[in-house]
Amino acid sequence: MSLLNPTIPSRQSATTSSACSVATRKPIYQVSESDEAYRLTVILPGVAKDGLKITADADELRIAGTHAWKQPEGWTSLHRETIAANYALVLKHDNALNGDKITAELREGVLHVTLPKAEAIKPRKITVV
Amino acid sequence: MRIIRYNQPVTRGYARANCGDNRSPWAGFESEIDRLFTSAGGNVAGSKATQFPVDLYEDKDNATVRAELPGIKRDDIQVELVDGHLNINATRKTKTGDDEKSSSFSRSIRVPDTVQSDKVAAAYEDGVLTVTLPKREESKPRKINVAVK
Repeated sequence: MSLLNPTIPSRQSATTSSACSVATRKPIYQVSESDEAYRLTVILPGVAKDGLKITADADELRIAGTHAWKQPEGWTSLHRETIAANYALVLKHDNALNGDKITAELREGVLHVTLPKAEAIKPRKITVV
Repeated sequence: MRIIRYNQPVTRGYARANCGDNRSPWAGFESEIDRLFTSAGGNVAGSKATQFPVDLYEDKDNATVRAELPGIKRDDIQVELVDGHLNINATRKTKTGDDEKSSSFSRSIRVPDTVQSDKVAAAYEDGVLTVTLPKREESKPRKINVAVK
């Protein structure tokens, strides 16, 4: 641990994964809910199926997308409006998902994920005796 | 289904959550400021919603236009080269439950007349439209040998 002021981050060698050294940004996303499941739509233009990684834990859902296209050698960029950063989205929940039944579909750069709710949080009727 | 959350990518991004301590806190600062300005007017779904980001590249044989147009069916994209302008029009139809919303995008890019208009090609993959505009033979750069007499 550095003896200097701990609020200044020290440049130590990366012990975390090297994927952290690339800047990432949060994609546009939308969550809707029904009684049975959550539906997540994430806009990831330029991301192909093999550049997409979805992981679900007990407390968070992580989506990482990397761009499939690289500017070829010999191309000069005249005008850039897109951002080259890869996409990263982390959504926290509290054991709300049934991890085994998550399905996802990537179509034309838009990811649709269906996240079935865990049994414990589904609404249930309670009869009054 | 009801929407419980919709998130605009306003000031988020350059996720600190994902990276460890080995990134300087100033990394990405300039781009954050750029994003703040570009999205400052973009919260209202209106005039800004019809634009989409476009990149222009060139090499010695072609000029290339890459447009980010996610979530659109191939048939709903029209690309035309008219009068030295490349017009890209696209319609996105979304079905949420019972209602169907349709939003349209349109952009016109000035193209120099050094382009062979009959050989223009377009491809749409992973939400990105790539239009390749081959240059005319006479406008490709060529070496001219200087004879020394």
